[in-house]
Amino acid sequence: MLEYLGRCLIHLAVTILGIVTVAFFLMRAIPGDPAEYILGDYATPEALAILRSQLGLDRSLTEQYVIFISRAAMGDFGTSTVTGQPALNEITESLPPSAVLAIAGLLIAIAFGVPAGIAAAVRQGSWFDVTVMLIALGGISFPVFWLGLAAILLFAHHLDLLPALGSTSSPNLVDQLLHLILPATVLGFSVAAYIARLTRSAMLEVLGQDYVRVARAMGVSERRIVYRLALRNALVPILAVIGVTFAWSLGNAILIEAVFSRPGVGSTILKAILARDYQLVQAGVLALAAGVVITNALLDVLYGLIDPRLRTT
Amino acid sequence: MHSMSGHDAPYSALTRRNALIALGGVGAGVLLPLDLSRLALAQGATALRVRLGSDISVLDPAQIFQVENQTVACHIFNGLVKYDQATNKIIPDLASEHTISPDGTVYTFKLREGIKFHKNYGTLTSEDVKFTLERVLDPKGGSKYTAQLAGLAKIETPDPQTIVLTLDKPSGGFLHKLTAFNQGWIVSKKAVQQLGDKFKLNPIGTGPFAFDRWSTGAEVRLLANKDYFEGAPKFDVLQLRVIREETAAAIALEKGEIDIFYALQQPEMIERLNKAPNIRVLSRDANHTIDLVLNTTIKPLNDVRVRQAIAHALNRRGLIDGYFQGTKAEAQSVLTRSFAEFTEDVPHYDYNPEKAKALLKEAGVSAFKFEMTTPGFSPYDKIVVPMAEDLKAVGINAVIRVLERGAYTQARNSGRVQSCITGVVGPPDPDSPLVTLYAKKSFPPGLNTARYDAVEDLLAKAQMASGAEARAAAYKAILQKTMSDIPVIPLYADKLFLAHTDKVQGLVQNSLFTVYTYPVQLKG
Repeated sequence: MLEYLGRCLIHLAVTILGIVTVAFFLMRAIPGDPAEYILGDYATPEALAILRSQLGLDRSLTEQYVIFISRAAMGDFGTSTVTGQPALNEITESLPPSAVLAIAGLLIAIAFGVPAGIAAAVRQGSWFDVTVMLIALGGISFPVFWLGLAAILLFAHHLDLLPALGSTSSPNLVDQLLHLILPATVLGFSVAAYIARLTRSAMLEVLGQDYVRVARAMGVSERRIVYRLALRNALVPILAVIGVTFAWSLGNAILIEAVFSRPGVGSTILKAILARDYQLVQAGVLALAAGVVITNALLDVLYGLIDPRLRTT
Repeated sequence: MHSMSGHDAPYSALTRRNALIALGGVGAGVLLPLDLSRLALAQGATALRVRLGSDISVLDPAQIFQVENQTVACHIFNGLVKYDQATNKIIPDLASEHTISPDGTVYTFKLREGIKFHKNYGTLTSEDVKFTLERVLDPKGGSKYTAQLAGLAKIETPDPQTIVLTLDKPSGGFLHKLTAFNQGWIVSKKAVQQLGDKFKLNPIGTGPFAFDRWSTGAEVRLLANKDYFEGAPKFDVLQLRVIREETAAAIALEKGEIDIFYALQQPEMIERLNKAPNIRVLSRDANHTIDLVLNTTIKPLNDVRVRQAIAHALNRRGLIDGYFQGTKAEAQSVLTRSFAEFTEDVPHYDYNPEKAKALLKEAGVSAFKFEMTTPGFSPYDKIVVPMAEDLKAVGINAVIRVLERGAYTQARNSGRVQSCITGVVGPPDPDSPLVTLYAKKSFPPGLNTARYDAVEDLLAKAQMASGAEARAAAYKAILQKTMSDIPVIPLYADKLFLAHTDKVQGLVQNSLFTVYTYPVQLKG
């Protein structure tokens, strides 16, 4: 176990170093720089030169990279060039709303996606199966910003049941949950669609296996076959997609965040990219990369728990 | 048995309730870190909620830009003088009076007594004013507005209430540079020195509201300054909510989740809110036009006939009536009707494709490639499409290049783009668009991507002119010359729309693209 953890940690460090390095050079490859953004339309060449040297942008790329990596290794991601606040602070402040949305969305997706997928697989070809798969197709095909706006129009405007804004500064828990319902459901719906389709195909594959036929022939109850034999085997790919989706929605819920006026890491990073705020982008990329890598490590452990055959590897 | 359960029941119920409360507390803690000051505020405080189209980034007047930042900052800072929100006249602010020497070079300001900075940063003195201006002038200070104060040669503070500014040559428009906007906002010397970089998002001013907190991507909260020198605001908290989607903002306004929706853009949204009950929509001419800037150093745009041909080829009225559904106004020049120096007495270019073709023929130009560079946001990246069609109709091979903001700025600053879409958003100071678009000193990097230099003497004359009449005549000369040379084609004059609920009373819309809520009183 210790050895496994050690391997995980090295893996984590190498992956994050790679991602942060790519982010560092990609950002600097985009045209425009922070000095131009800060000084804007009235910039003179002299003022630009002075600010660039103050920001250390006049040094060579390798020099900048070495400075960045050596500081980052000490946990110092610098201050945002635009806001003057520590870069990591802004990211950690926008992480909780992202995590809440991702978790709530995923819970909704699992609660609907997995049972729907199982039921569709068991009744393959029936009207139920067709309906579920059609809805799932819709969930995958409709862009989330459209679904989001449609949901706001329907539930906030026409039915007047829920608030139009997806977040509130009110400390009241009920208030916060009320504001979370729409964005979480829209995110959950699109993810549920993936999970339902995946569960269905994984279940169908397992249900066609020889050992299921044998179990049926031996008179094992259908309920036991579906839940004990088939679902448990179909769970590994489902878990994989759930893990990936969680990591994905941490950073990529930008459209949902925009439609529902929610803060989040994705929006913060996008804002930083547009402002060429190198420090903030690097801190954000690091946080997301760590999130993905840690989720994957946790998943590896979970696979082992579900499927003993995967424990040795 | 009986007595035991009788004892037990309330006890266990209590613990269960406690456990629930504890759980709720943990849940709330996860959802949003609790803040005690906020809980205290919730008790009976009145709040005005305003929609911000995007997150704020910097509130330091020396570096400030973008309407969201300026909307927050205009509540926190004052200037020596300010624009009257309704008339754009320059009226007293921190300085109760000012005198200008007869030769127009010495400006003397008398500060009001006993004005306090927020959060116990002391009393405003002439030292703070001097510090504010010197900070902007410092070439190493990284200020965006150094050029705005060009010509300011000497800053003296004979006593704590008096500030004397001496210019190297007379300037009739210098007061515009000192109004409560951008570089004109006076900061606390002590706060800037103590807070350093943190001042960017912990601004300390003298205004009707003090900065409380900023939650990344979510909201900015300001608290009423009960000691404000013009009287305490009539509500306690100003909440500026980041709502990026216009549709969501409109629905939130209709449902009363927010009170004010300013800088409304989409024509459909304006129409929708116009029809909504309990909502009032205000509109006003803005201080800026949106323009097509032609690079006069690139062939064949160096020929004035080609530039005039382009102006005649564009169906600008069609753009206003069609795409904008009448929510913008026709531009006579780069000065809109909100300027005191506005005039209609300038050369006009009606939509006339035949005349455009004739002018091109006269100039000996046949089909040439004409590239229009535009930033990739609405409506600029949309309007270039019908514009390109118009140009193709007269035989100009128009090509559209849409760039992301940073890439656009870099391309424009290089000075090598053939043409670009640009607008100069700012205060009702005629020098703001004119110097920016036409002066030699605004050559790249800068907004004079036309590289136009034919009004240097006229600009200098206008800046020296004093008295409304002399100024009007001097600026008219600039407008007539630039509209006949046409290095910049004004496409349309922007109009500002603002919607608010019936709850909001006393609001005055300005022409600055911001909203100033100090006069607001909340009903009910």
